[in-house]
Amino acid sequence: MAGEMMAREQCVFVVDDDEAMRDSLAWLLESNGLRVRVFASGEAFLEACTDDMPGCLVLDVRMPGMSGLELHEKLQAVCPGLPVIFVTGHGDVPMAVSALKKGASDFIEKPFNNKEILRLIEQCLAADREQSGQRRRCAEIRRRLGSLTQREREVMDLVAAGRLNKQIADDLGISIKTVEVHRGRVMDKMEVRSVAELVQCMMEASATAAE
Amino acid sequence: MPKHRSPTAAAGFGRIWLWNLPYIAIGIFAVAMLTLVWVLQKRELDLQQNVLARDMQWAEQTMRLHLQGNQEFLGQLARELAEGVLDRDNFQIRATQYIANNPELVNIAWVDAGTVIRWTAPFETTDWISGEMLAASQPATFSRARDNSRPSYGAAYEGIRGVATVELFVPVQRGREHRGAIVGVYSVEGLVNYLVPNWFTDKYRLSIEEAGGKVLASNSAVKKTDDALDYSLSIDPPGNGLVMHAVAYRSGSEVPRALPALLIFGLTLVVVWSLTALRQHVLRRVQVEKERDRLFNLSLDMLCITGLDGVFRRVNPAFERILGYAAPVLVGRPLLDFVHLDEQAETRESLRQLALGQPVSFERRCRCDDGRYKWLVWSINPVPEEGLLYAVAHDITDRKRGEEALRAEYAFRKAMGESLVTGLRAVDLDGRIIYVNPAFCRMTGWTEQELIGVRPPFPYWPPEELDYNQHNIDITLAGQAPAGGFEIRVQRKNGERFDARLYVSPLIDSSGRQTGWMASMNDITEPKRARAELEAAHERFVAVLDGLDTGVYVAAVASDEILYANRAFKNIHGFDAVGRNCWQVTAACRPDPGEFRIDPRQLGLDEVPRELFDGEIHNTLSGRWYHLRDRAIRWVDGRVVRMEIATDITERKLMEEAALKHQERLEQTAHLISMGEMASTLAHELNQPLAAIANYAMGCVNRLERGDYQGEAILDAMRKASFQAERAGKIVRRMRDFVRKSEPHCVSVPLADIVDEVIGFAEMEARKAGVDIRVDISPGLPPVRADRIMIEQVLLNLVKNGIEAMAQTPRQRRHLTLAARCNDEAQIEIEVRDNGHGIDTSETEKLFAPFFTTKPQGMGMGLNICRTIIEFHNGRLWAAANPGGGSVFRFTLPLGE
Repeated sequence: MAGEMMAREQCVFVVDDDEAMRDSLAWLLESNGLRVRVFASGEAFLEACTDDMPGCLVLDVRMPGMSGLELHEKLQAVCPGLPVIFVTGHGDVPMAVSALKKGASDFIEKPFNNKEILRLIEQCLAADREQSGQRRRCAEIRRRLGSLTQREREVMDLVAAGRLNKQIADDLGISIKTVEVHRGRVMDKMEVRSVAELVQCMMEASATAAE
Repeated sequence: MPKHRSPTAAAGFGRIWLWNLPYIAIGIFAVAMLTLVWVLQKRELDLQQNVLARDMQWAEQTMRLHLQGNQEFLGQLARELAEGVLDRDNFQIRATQYIANNPELVNIAWVDAGTVIRWTAPFETTDWISGEMLAASQPATFSRARDNSRPSYGAAYEGIRGVATVELFVPVQRGREHRGAIVGVYSVEGLVNYLVPNWFTDKYRLSIEEAGGKVLASNSAVKKTDDALDYSLSIDPPGNGLVMHAVAYRSGSEVPRALPALLIFGLTLVVVWSLTALRQHVLRRVQVEKERDRLFNLSLDMLCITGLDGVFRRVNPAFERILGYAAPVLVGRPLLDFVHLDEQAETRESLRQLALGQPVSFERRCRCDDGRYKWLVWSINPVPEEGLLYAVAHDITDRKRGEEALRAEYAFRKAMGESLVTGLRAVDLDGRIIYVNPAFCRMTGWTEQELIGVRPPFPYWPPEELDYNQHNIDITLAGQAPAGGFEIRVQRKNGERFDARLYVSPLIDSSGRQTGWMASMNDITEPKRARAELEAAHERFVAVLDGLDTGVYVAAVASDEILYANRAFKNIHGFDAVGRNCWQVTAACRPDPGEFRIDPRQLGLDEVPRELFDGEIHNTLSGRWYHLRDRAIRWVDGRVVRMEIATDITERKLMEEAALKHQERLEQTAHLISMGEMASTLAHELNQPLAAIANYAMGCVNRLERGDYQGEAILDAMRKASFQAERAGKIVRRMRDFVRKSEPHCVSVPLADIVDEVIGFAEMEARKAGVDIRVDISPGLPPVRADRIMIEQVLLNLVKNGIEAMAQTPRQRRHLTLAARCNDEAQIEIEVRDNGHGIDTSETEKLFAPFFTTKPQGMGMGLNICRTIIEFHNGRLWAAANPGGGSVFRFTLPLGE
C-alpha cells in the first residue's frame, strides 16, 4: 500500500562528548543536506528522545558518564527502531561487535572516511524510512482492526482461516446473510479487496505486535 | 497533821489500815462470838434457872402439899385427940404407920398443955421421951400454936444427934380448951430426901438452909454442881426462914461453860497468830518476790514465761536489752515468731516435748528487733499442770562466733597440718621428736610411730651426712639455727634420697614457755632443679641477648637509670652503661623523650606493654644509622620500665638511598614502558582533532561544490578546523617533550655494575619464585657504552620474563643465567637464559611486535621497547630457544672506554 509519508523529516542525531567532533560532524552532514541534532552526552539525548524520531543516531562509544553502549541499551526501551551507528576508537572492536549483536546498525572506526560515514548514514536513514513506513502501516492496520466490532472480528478470523460463509454461519450460529453483511463490513473497514490481502494485513499486524 | 499527805503516805496509811483490818475484824468477830456465847450461855442459864425455879416451886409445892398433908393428918389426930377418941395405942399405931409411910416425919408426939410429952411415935424413938418437957425453942412454938390455934412450925434446930429438925405443933383444941399439941417432927434431911422426887434430886442438889444460910440438910450427890444455877425458895411451911436451896447438877456434857469462850478466845488467838504469821509470811514472800523480781528484771539472761504453745506471757527486761523487743511487743506473740526460719521445725519439736513434760535445752538463732540474728541457748522447764513453760535464754552469739571461729581456725589448722605439702616436725628441748605431720611422714617414708620419741640421729638422715645433720641439730637445740634454714639431703625409708630445706623456729606453748623446736621441711628437689634450669635458661637468655647485634637496654622510667644493657649496646655506648643515667649514656643516639607517643611515667602496670617510639636516629658520634624502638614494659620486679632496641640500619640506609636514587632514574626509564601507552593515547588523542579537521574541511568542500555556502559559515568552520590543528600540534609536542626527557644518556659503565643492580632489583622476585640466578661475567670484561638506566631496564625486563617463564618449571631446575662475553664484532653480548616454557619458534619475531603478549594481563610492551632501546644503542636484541629447554635472550652493546 502506498502509505502517506509523514511530514516529519528525518534527522541525524549525533552524540559525542568531544565538542569538536560534534560540531565538525554536524558541519559535514549539514553540508550534505542532512538535518543534524547534536547532544553532548547520552543523558542529554535521552532527555530529548521521544518514541517517534525518524532518522538515525551517530554514537561515540567512549564517553565519560553514560557510555555509548549504555545509551544504546537504554534506547531499546525508549525508541527501539532508531538505527544506531557506533563510532569506535582504537581497540574497541570487541565492544563494537557486541553492540552490533545487540542491534546496532553499524559501526565505524575513528578517524573515519567522510564518504564512509555519509554512506552509512544514508543506509540508516533509508532503513529508518523503511521501518517507519512499516510502523505506520502497522499502526494503521491496528487502528482498522480496532474499529471492528466483536462480531466482525470473529467473522474476520474465520474468513482468514478459510471458512466458507455457510460454515461461518454455522460456527457462529447466525444466518448466512448476516455473515455476508459482516464480511462486507470487514473488507471495507480493513480496506482490502481480497481475503489474501486481509490475511496479509493480519499477519503484518501480528508480526509487528510480536516485535 | 500535815495539810496534805503524799500519796504514798496516804497509800501507806491506807495500807496500814488494810493490814490491820483483819485483826480488827477478827477482834470484832471474837468479841462478837464471845458476846454471843455469853449471851447464849446466859440465856441457857436463864432457861435453866427458870426450869430450876419451876422445879423448885413444884418441889416446894410438893413439899408443901406433903407437909400440908402431914399437917392434915396431924390435925386429924389432934381432932381425934381433942374429941378423946384417940388413944395412945391407936395414936401410936397410926402415927408409926404414918411415919413409916412418910419417913420425913421422924416423930409424932402429943404434948399436953403443960408441954409435957405424953405420947410419942414411933415406939422406939428416943428423941421424944414421954414425960419430958419441951425444951429450947419448942415451947415458943407450942405457945404460938396454942395462941394462934393454928399449926405452927418451929424454927429449925439441931436436934439430937445433930440432925436438923423442924417441928410442927398442931394444937389440940377442944373448943376452947387447949389440950396441947400434936407435934410432928420433921428431919430436915428427910424433908430433902423424901419430899422431892428422884428426878428432882437427880437434877438438883437440894438443901434446906435456915435463914443464915446454914445448911441444915442436903442431898448432895457426888455430881458436880453448876453453881450458876441455884435457886432458893423459902418453904412455908415450915417457914421460919427455912429456905430450900437447889443447885443444879451439871447436865449432859462435862464441857465446862467457859469452854466456848475459851475456845473462841483460843481460836481468836490462833487466828490472830496465824494471821500474823501469814502476814509475816506474806511480807517475806513479798520480799522474796521483790528480790525475785529484781533478779528477774536485772538478770542479764533472758527469763520468760510462756504458755505451752510457746506464747510469751511474761518477759524480763533482758529481752529488750538483748533482742531489742520491749516486753509489750513480745507478750502475746509466740516464741516461734522469733526463731530463725531454718530452726523452726526443731523448735516445734522441742515445744512438743515440753508439752509432754520434758524439760529441754537447745541453742537457736533468734531474730532481734533490728533484723540480725543472735544465738541464744534456751533452757526451758515445763510445768504442765499450770500449762506454762519457764524459759531462760542466754546470749551465746559471741560464744558461738567464738566457737565457730575456733572451729574454723582449728579446721583450718588441722587441714593445714594434714594437707601441707610441707612436712612439719617438732622436737622437744632434748631433740626428741614429739610431733610429725602426715606430710612429713609421707616425705620421709617413716610412719608417725617410727618417728615420735626418736632422738637424733634420726632415721631419715643419710649415713653419709651424719656429721652435717648432727651439727645442724646441735645448733638448732642451741637456738642458733640460721634464719635461712638448712639445706639437707633426706633419705627415705626405701633408700631414695631427695633434697630438702629445713626451717626451724621455736615452739612456744600457751603459757609462753618454749617447749621445743618446730621445723618445716620442704622438698626442694623440684625447685632446685627448676632453679638450675632457670639459671641455665637465664644464661642462655643472656647469651642470646649478648649475641645479638641489636643493642638492647632497659631503663627505669622514674630514675632513668639503666637497669640492663646487652653487649651490643655496651659496644655502642660504652661498657659502663648499667647503673648510669640512660640519657647521658645514649646521648649520641637517642630519641627525644618529647617524641614518645606517651610519657612512660604516666603508665600503670596494666597499660604496658606500650610502644613509645619507632624511628630512625642517626648516631652523631659514629655516623651510623639506627632503627630505634622504645617500648614501656613490665620489668621483672614489677616496675614499669622502658626498653629500647637499636638496630644498626646503616647498611640498609645506604642501600635505601642508593635505591632511591636509582628509583628516580628508573621512574624516568619507566617512561619508556608507558611510552607504548602514551602512543596509544596519543593516537587516540590525535584522532579527535584530525577527524574534526577532516569533517570541517569536507563540509566546506561540499558546500562550496554545491554553491550552497555563506562566507561567514565557511570562515567559521575553517577557524574551527585550524583550532583543531593546533590542538593536534600540542599533543605532538607533549609527546616530544616526554620523549626528550627519557633520551638515553650514554656513558661507559662496567657491565658487572649493571648486572649487580639488576640482580639486586630482581632478587626478591627470584627468591619468591624459587629461581636461582647465576651470573657468569668474567671480571676482565671491558665496559659497555650505554645509558645505564635503560640497559638496566632492558636486562631487568628480560630477567623478569625469564623468572616468569619458569613458573611451571620444577623447582630444582629453575635456573636463570646471566652471562656476558665479548663477541667477534667488538660488542659485548649479554645473554639471559632461562629454563622456562620456551618460545614457539614461529612466534619468535612476533615477540617483539608491539602489543604482543603471552601473559594474560600483559600489554605486550616490554620486548618491543627493549628492542628499541637496544637498537638505539646500535645493538641487537633477539631471542632463541635454549637447547636445554627454555629461552635465551641476547643483546649486544657497544664497547665503552
